Amino acid sequence: MTAMATPGQPAAEASLRPVPWRGMAWVSWRQHRTTLAGLLAVLGVAGVYLYITGLDLRHDVAAFGEMFVANGSGKMGMTLTAALFQVLPALIGAFVGAPVLARELETGTFRYTWTQGFGRERWAAAKLAQLAVAVTLVAGAFGFLFSWCYEAIIGVRQGLSPLMAITFDLRGVAFAAWTLVAFAIGVLAGILIRRVVPAMFATLAAWSGLAFVAGAYLRPHYETPLVTSGFNLPSAAWVISQRWTLHGKPVSLTTVSQVLQKIGAKEVAPGVFGPTGPASGPTSGTSAAFGSGGAWRSAPTYLLHHGFTQLTSYQPGSRFWPFQWIEGGWLLALSLLLIAATIWLVRRHAA
Amino acid sequence: MTIDKGVSGSGTAEASPSPSGGGDGKKPPDGPRGSGSPIEFRLDAASGVPTYLQLVQQVEHALRLGYLKPGDQLPKVRDAVASLAINPNTVLKAYRELETKGLASGRPGQGTFIEATLSQVALPELATLHRSLLGWLASADGAGLDEDGIVALFSSALRDFFKGRDRPADRRADRKGGTEGVA
Amino acid sequence: MNVIETSGLGKRYRQTWALRECTLAIPAGHVTALVGPNGAGKTTLLNLGVGLATPTAGVVTVLGGVPAGSPAALDGIAFVAQDMPLYKPLSVADMLHLTRNLNRRFDQGYALARLGELGIPLKRKAGKLSGGQQAQLALTLALARRPRLLVLDEPLANLDPLARHDFMATVMATVAEHGMSVVLSSHVLAELERVADYLILVSGGRVQVADEVDSLLSTHRILTGPASDARTREELTVVHERRAEAQAHLLVRTRGPADPVPLGWEAHPVSLEELVLAYLREPGAAALPGPARTSNAEPTEVTR
Repeated sequence: MTAMATPGQPAAEASLRPVPWRGMAWVSWRQHRTTLAGLLAVLGVAGVYLYITGLDLRHDVAAFGEMFVANGSGKMGMTLTAALFQVLPALIGAFVGAPVLARELETGTFRYTWTQGFGRERWAAAKLAQLAVAVTLVAGAFGFLFSWCYEAIIGVRQGLSPLMAITFDLRGVAFAAWTLVAFAIGVLAGILIRRVVPAMFATLAAWSGLAFVAGAYLRPHYETPLVTSGFNLPSAAWVISQRWTLHGKPVSLTTVSQVLQKIGAKEVAPGVFGPTGPASGPTSGTSAAFGSGGAWRSAPTYLLHHGFTQLTSYQPGSRFWPFQWIEGGWLLALSLLLIAATIWLVRRHAA
Repeated sequence: MTIDKGVSGSGTAEASPSPSGGGDGKKPPDGPRGSGSPIEFRLDAASGVPTYLQLVQQVEHALRLGYLKPGDQLPKVRDAVASLAINPNTVLKAYRELETKGLASGRPGQGTFIEATLSQVALPELATLHRSLLGWLASADGAGLDEDGIVALFSSALRDFFKGRDRPADRRADRKGGTEGVA
Repeated sequence: MNVIETSGLGKRYRQTWALRECTLAIPAGHVTALVGPNGAGKTTLLNLGVGLATPTAGVVTVLGGVPAGSPAALDGIAFVAQDMPLYKPLSVADMLHLTRNLNRRFDQGYALARLGELGIPLKRKAGKLSGGQQAQLALTLALARRPRLLVLDEPLANLDPLARHDFMATVMATVAEHGMSVVLSSHVLAELERVADYLILVSGGRVQVADEVDSLLSTHRILTGPASDARTREELTVVHERRAEAQAHLLVRTRGPADPVPLGWEAHPVSLEELVLAYLREPGAAALPGPARTSNAEPTEVTR
């Protein structure tokens, strides 16, 4: 009798060795190489711009000195660039992170991949880890480049504190951390929403919300702010809040403005005063004692004389690195948490 | 299957085609495949006959017509299955049936081979049977049966006849080496 | 060994039960056809078997008691989902590489030889292949893993007749060569009749029929006889009846082909398609073996 051929495969092993992790290296790279190439391209172009700008700035500083450059076009350029670059982590999170899982679910390829021998949790862990590391490294390099480019003018004078929102999160470890958390938000959005485009929008929204909350409410209080009553703050200080007291009792800003107006002055920046209108003398009598025309210049003395004190809470520029580590730390923890949650959701997903 | 000889049993007393690779075009090709089977199966999906039975009938038909001789190999299960897209168990069932009828036997590791031929009924006997059948047909026609009616009646009688008997293979198989019972 | 064994298996999505009280024991070494109308629960059952979904109720084990979805199960089972999911931007060669990296066993030689036979170019993107080629690619990738069980969800749905034939021929050849078990679903029974030797009929989220095809065909027959003969009808186990004024056709369950035919009635063998249609028309009827059988199961229960 013709016997049916015996199975060509080995008998089941009692304990199965897992499929080697290194197999996923090629898989992740091959599937996401276009995205990663795009990432490198975008950051590369930005990087080239920063490099050129950095060289220019150094040249200018050598020729004209720090203060000149920091007060002039150098500052404008930086503010514009920085504002533009603010969105980079969110975009990276949306374009690199969101599609990773959302595309598998949207196209149905998860029915193929999650039934291979590798196992879906290990697959997710390997892929997410690899992409997270890649994204973080590239972002870290970019943050370093940004710092190098503008280091001549940051912290040189008031209004350019290294702690201020517009540059803090583009430098040091913060940029890498914000990019990592954007990626983590993206992959989580992908598994929850299961469609690429909606997940991308959700990532942008969620990241923006987090960034706003962090910048407005968390970062000012990483360490207890210093308080001073002087009007001259250190140049690199980041002012958080100011309040006025009159003879020790809190008094509103309006009251202060009204008093200042009598001498034709107003506070244009923390501790800085200027004229209310075109440079002409005040009309009321009280100020006459202080002279006409430039009376506003003596506003600080005038206020002190009348018992006003301004208390300013601020963070000194020297706290830049401690703050960077704090922010980087909690963002890293949050990212790991989000990625862990994503892997757990992959495990639980039912077709 | 191209048929070079007449299909009906009228007159063919030979059990095999011309010995030296002549006419039927189905000799196994020389070459790397070496011992392929002389025949190939086909499937009539609409015939209502169970697949395995079709295969059995095709082997018996090939034996009668001389496409298969004792010693020839039947198509490998894998090949039959790959060309017909049928369940391998069907082919195995057909081969088992042929074994039970004593026509074939399996050699482990090699395949299934033809062991016997179907006995040929002698020519005069065939002629007598043919004549008596014509007589019966004349009576049936006289009684008012049309062609389909005759076929239905005949089929029913055929079924009844073989149901009441032992396996038909007993009296049909001609073993090469003797007359022992069917394995 | 049972390649898929379930006990009281059920799956609920939100408020609807896609599958309920499903108790099956699909024996190894068979080609099992899973048939039923669209939405009957076939895909749900397959998803539960390959670990893409987890049960709401009951248990499912595979390959002789291994939990579905566990590493051992993933290793031994290859699944081709409906619409043959492949990474469309990847080339055929890339898909081979990917499958090789994600599995313990991968017969690269077989895969390359097979793709060569089929004339599927290695450099072409998977998304650019024709429907039949994509199906053959998905099948080749699955078979190259040398699985003990191959699970196919509606594999023939978008294929032309030639592609269908080639696809099933490939599957059957592998079954012949390696003794692989197959479970495949379709809502068109005719496609599966030639290849199936075990049949499962799912309708309305419940299993109506689960038995060897040979057993089903030998224990069912059509009896044709006078419509007025009510007593005969009562004595028999009738699954489905069609009646005109003078004549009635009954699909009955018997204990075997030797069961006597009632006087005045004619018996005809029933085709698999007729049998399936009859059960589909009688939702209360079932032909099931007892739970957790490990070999040829005698059908024990017929209910109306």
